Amino acid sequence: MPETSEIRRQKDSQSNPQGEEIRIGVYTCHCGGNISDVVRCEKVAKVLSEMPNVVVSRTHMAMCSDAGQAMVEEDIRERGVNRVVIGACAPSLHEQTFRRTVARAGLNPYLYYHVCLREQDSWVSGGDCEGATEKAIRLMAAGIAKARHLKALDPIRLDAKQRALVIGGGVAGLRSAWDIARRGIQVTLIEKSPFLGGRMAQLETTFPAGETARELLHDLIERVLAHPNVTVHTRAELVGVRGYVGDFHVQIRRQSRGVSDDFAQAQAEAAIAACPVEVPDEFNYGLTTRKAIYRAYPGCTPATPAIDWENCTLCGKCLQVNGQGIDLENKPETFEINVGAVVVATGFRPYEPRQGEYGYGEFPEVVTLPQLIRLLALAGESEGLEWNGHPVRNIAMIHCVGSRQIEGIHEPQPDGQVNDYCSRVCCTATLHLANELRGRFPNVNVFDVYQDIRTYGRGHEDYYTQASANMVRFLRFHAEEPPEVVPAPDGDSCPVLVKIKDYLTWGEEIEVPVDLVVLAVGIMPRPIDDLIKMLKISPGTDRFLLEVHPKLRPVETAVPGIVLAGTAQGPMNIQESCAAASAAAAKVAVLLGQGLVELEPFVARVDPERCRGSGQCVEVCCYEDAISLQTFSVNGREVQRAVVTPANCTGCGACVSACPNRAIDVQGWTLEQYEAMVDAIAADLPASEVGV
Amino acid sequence: MAEKPKILILATLSGGYAGANSVGQLRKDYPTNTYILPVLCPCLFPEDFYLRAFERGIDGILVMYSGTDSPYKGGPERAAEIINRVYPMMKERGIDTRRLRLVAICTVCTGPFLKEVNEMNDLLQELGPVRRERSSTATPQPQTVQSRE
Repeated sequence: MPETSEIRRQKDSQSNPQGEEIRIGVYTCHCGGNISDVVRCEKVAKVLSEMPNVVVSRTHMAMCSDAGQAMVEEDIRERGVNRVVIGACAPSLHEQTFRRTVARAGLNPYLYYHVCLREQDSWVSGGDCEGATEKAIRLMAAGIAKARHLKALDPIRLDAKQRALVIGGGVAGLRSAWDIARRGIQVTLIEKSPFLGGRMAQLETTFPAGETARELLHDLIERVLAHPNVTVHTRAELVGVRGYVGDFHVQIRRQSRGVSDDFAQAQAEAAIAACPVEVPDEFNYGLTTRKAIYRAYPGCTPATPAIDWENCTLCGKCLQVNGQGIDLENKPETFEINVGAVVVATGFRPYEPRQGEYGYGEFPEVVTLPQLIRLLALAGESEGLEWNGHPVRNIAMIHCVGSRQIEGIHEPQPDGQVNDYCSRVCCTATLHLANELRGRFPNVNVFDVYQDIRTYGRGHEDYYTQASANMVRFLRFHAEEPPEVVPAPDGDSCPVLVKIKDYLTWGEEIEVPVDLVVLAVGIMPRPIDDLIKMLKISPGTDRFLLEVHPKLRPVETAVPGIVLAGTAQGPMNIQESCAAASAAAAKVAVLLGQGLVELEPFVARVDPERCRGSGQCVEVCCYEDAISLQTFSVNGREVQRAVVTPANCTGCGACVSACPNRAIDVQGWTLEQYEAMVDAIAADLPASEVGV
Repeated sequence: MAEKPKILILATLSGGYAGANSVGQLRKDYPTNTYILPVLCPCLFPEDFYLRAFERGIDGILVMYSGTDSPYKGGPERAAEIINRVYPMMKERGIDTRRLRLVAICTVCTGPFLKEVNEMNDLLQELGPVRRERSSTATPQPQTVQSRE
């Protein structure tokens, strides 16, 4: 039975030496004007310099720059600074940067505190320089107050499981899986649908090189499936997650395919033909139908057909062809795997225009760009283009449908928001298709109706140049005056008219009679609310998943060990999706490759001298084995004392508020620190500083 | 110049704190007399933490937690229970209970963030400093507030 004095010794060994003089270095960042345009940084630094324990108070144009960091390091080495407070951008951006800075100078990284002066002060204070400066002083004073109570802490180090989970079997998920596997790490890839390939499988030729989408994709799929480190589950989705970076326990639910893998090709064709069910084929965006036993497309992977459990009537016609290998009972199974990291590659969905938007849903002649791609694929080598049984001679392609929407002009989505972002890929995709149409069907006139042409990538502008040379006619509208699609008058040679106020002809009102209107629809995130909740990751205001920082940590989420790949994060073309996927894979490889992960040491800690063994902390704790009462010997007497198991503690602090003796705290976030911060905020500023 | 009320915002890193950063990214203005402190989960704060803050001159407290999105099991419920126990204690001390509010703010809840901050600021302008309320009560009980120290 250990003596409590032994616990105390262990505690002290991790604390700072008693009686150490607190010497605080305080730094107020201008952030290149982002902060200093509103906050009077020099004034802040001067007021802070007069506060107890502050030995250095400086400003810098950019604390995150090499020069800014070197200044802090020098103060630690040369001036004995042993606590650092920096007021700068949000801690999510540079807290880790500055922790590394102080660590490089030999200081424990947890003797650093980060104050947000940009997102929570200068950027939200309008022109109130006086108020923003006073706020900065108080926030920094609170940081200094906390710094006085900071203790050196060591991160918790745990073994990292050498397996990653990739969610999504589109090009980004496949690319991530392939890259991770090649680093010697096991990968489990789950795909919700029965087939791999995602949206890319629905494309034909791709820009900028004109390669065939499915050929590129099949090559990648083959490599992924052949790699010994990769396990793929189709019809599988995440249903539960617990744990943390390095040690996530994920529950996966997999539905039956309904057809065994050894089902012969000829039998499969016969079984599909026998099925009497016809449902819209999502692969062709509803232009065709498919059966309830189906393949996504000829040559898809896996090649084995799947039963569509939602639409199968269980009539048994497919069994009559050959019952062997078909099982019409869906037997979902749930299993758990242990992974160190998770890649979220859930992809996108094309914007679905609302009923009546540019005539969509009202006139059969209005289709979306993804539908046109499928239409052209289905048309094969035919010489003329037909739609709805009529030859197509004139096509209008309207840009920015469901993108760059403006509040008050465009109808909001069901969640009340408009899609105010640019979907980025549709301009080049539209011009790519316009050129294809002109090349394949020279008699078809193409009218490109646009706001702006954003062909931003390498080689993309060539599509615009080529379209101009190909006699594609451009008409330009302003967002406030979008074009209208109306029925053509009786007797007109074309069924619909596109009415546009064309700003290339200084606002002339033009009516273009067309046989087909193509809406260049934008990109929207897939509805993955359940996944977001399970993983505790965040969407941005545009509903796409949010990275920590667009430049500094572009594929990491705020949850350690969970990274993003591809269009789940925002509109991207295939090239960008693959780049993001490889970046995500590299992050996973770095994280798991060391074999260990470091967790923040923000867990509960008991002061054995104050603990009286009331057990109230154990009662309120919701985590298994995070805190328990154990028996110790004090002066020969047996006593109960609370003991925390750091690996099981999340640092929520429920035990802190429950303890009647204030004997427990969350390291790095102690009540004493909070009280000191509150006091600093509430304190009166020196009279000379009122009216800063 | 009359002293502005001081609003303490205890904001969870997974909710209100990230929400405040989203407000910043949108450059939406709100009063400067707002002081945001990051917290993991507000279930850490016992009843007397809030009373002590009022005692020290904080005029209003907004606890911006993550609600059902909290990564901490049982944390939001416990925080709500504690705050519900604080209200009668505030009443005992003559402190208007509207000075303390628990609100769920998500990472992109910019509208609700601004609404809560502005409403609290308006309320505090109307109520005046917390010191005046406390001084109007017969017997302040700082010993209760400080009993843990």
